[in-house]
Amino acid sequence: MPSDIDDVALEYLLARAGLSLTEAQKAELKTVYAGIAAMAERVRKPRGRMAEPAHAYGFAEEDLA
Amino acid sequence: MSDAIPTIAEAARLIAAKELSPVELTRACLTRVHALDGELHAFVHLTEERALAEAREAERAIMAGRPSGPLHGIPIGLKDIVDTKGIPTTCGSKFLQDNIPDTDATCAEKLAAAGTVLMGKLTTHEFADGGPSFDLPAPPARNPWNTEHFTAGSSSGTGAGVAAGLILGGIGTDTGGSIRGPAALCGIAGIKPTYGLVSRAGVAPADYSLDHIGPMAWTAEDCALMLQALAGPDPRDPASAARPIPNCTALLGSGIKGLKIGVIHHFHEIDHKVSDGTQRGIDAALVTFRDLGAELREVQLSPLQDWAACGSLISMTERAAAYEEWSRTRLGDFSERLGSRLMLGAFISGVDYVQAVRRRRELRAELQQAMRELDVVLTATQPSEAAKIDAVPKWDLFDRPNFTMPFNVAGYPAISICAGFGAGGLPVAIQLVGKLFQEPTLFRIADAFEKATPFRSQRPALVSARTAA
Repeated sequence: MPSDIDDVALEYLLARAGLSLTEAQKAELKTVYAGIAAMAERVRKPRGRMAEPAHAYGFAEEDLA
Repeated sequence: MSDAIPTIAEAARLIAAKELSPVELTRACLTRVHALDGELHAFVHLTEERALAEAREAERAIMAGRPSGPLHGIPIGLKDIVDTKGIPTTCGSKFLQDNIPDTDATCAEKLAAAGTVLMGKLTTHEFADGGPSFDLPAPPARNPWNTEHFTAGSSSGTGAGVAAGLILGGIGTDTGGSIRGPAALCGIAGIKPTYGLVSRAGVAPADYSLDHIGPMAWTAEDCALMLQALAGPDPRDPASAARPIPNCTALLGSGIKGLKIGVIHHFHEIDHKVSDGTQRGIDAALVTFRDLGAELREVQLSPLQDWAACGSLISMTERAAAYEEWSRTRLGDFSERLGSRLMLGAFISGVDYVQAVRRRRELRAELQQAMRELDVVLTATQPSEAAKIDAVPKWDLFDRPNFTMPFNVAGYPAISICAGFGAGGLPVAIQLVGKLFQEPTLFRIADAFEKATPFRSQRPALVSARTAA
């Protein structure tokens, strides 16, 4: 994920999300894009393909130790 | 009755001994509501007649020898994202100004069954996110310690209402800190229970996998009494945990000698350095815990920024999904702050979301491992004393990772309690985090701290100033 976003990419993402924004809203969104990009980088770790997501955890006995 | 505001535990003892009438107690709360709420804005909908009727009914039942427990006759409030049958539930939003649910949320039902007196619905950030906002139908709640200051959110009305004694306890919800933040800045106690312990059924979603429901009250003991009534499996909530209800008060008063408290120093000293006043509160709390016989250890976790990134990506995506239809068709009807946050979902891909959820599993395992030899861990709840309400930054999530989100990510129970007063006489707090479903240990430690320190004897000056005879 690049750390900044150009107008074409922004328009594409907004269209995909179905959002109609004012020019002022678009300009503000562009200023915080880098923050989202940094977060998206932070959650990526060298974990390999077998690492499962945490969608469901069952609180088995070993979880409670 | 005296002018002092009783805790729930104190009121329960007096009611049980027939030395305090629920009607008298409810009237005292209503007197404070009428004196203070024009300034505090804790209530969005006051149910005065219903409260008095419920108080009279509680009094009759108790006098007839049919008490239903320690919450019987206790005045409480519910955050206005909690469905209440026949009572407006607006979620603080223009979208739901006319919404009157035809059923109660499970938590509302349980508190009613415990005999509480419902005083009304309490101010919230719109759909529990994005405040403070000044472009909504109701104004934001104000901090009773200084009404120019923020309460934190999103359970802002519950925080303000409990601190000022308008209610003795209330329901908050917590997706990234919305119980613990207002508890901290308003100088009260608030617990986010283990994920799944309290049903979310009938409560408007913020972010499905991060949302928790829990009590806020003046003391940890009061929170324990409320959680006892709230906890338990519920088929209406798919995330409800099929586990026995813990005995929340079982360990109160048993001391903390020998308990092991891990301190996550790097969270509040390096990753996001807290204010001097907050740091002094934490340092003094550690001395108190040591004096009470607890053993302190240092704990190292991934940087706070990692937890915040994981939680924020999940939060922004789930929220965008929950409110997608309205975002697409009526974005301008949200508050400016919530509308802006909902737009962020457009920037997060499906792969980003799954990577965040994979990171979540790793972080939770890390916390579990770190806590193996500990009873609780400790860090800050808030970075500083309450900011002025008109100076709350809009985008601080990117450069000021919050201290509460890690435990929404992990699903672990966490309580915020008052740890003194800092700049401007505003409250500061500490956060204690327990093991899964070990809320009784959290209450044991929090209660011991409150009883060893003087902070529970001081209410906001506004209360006595405006309600003096």
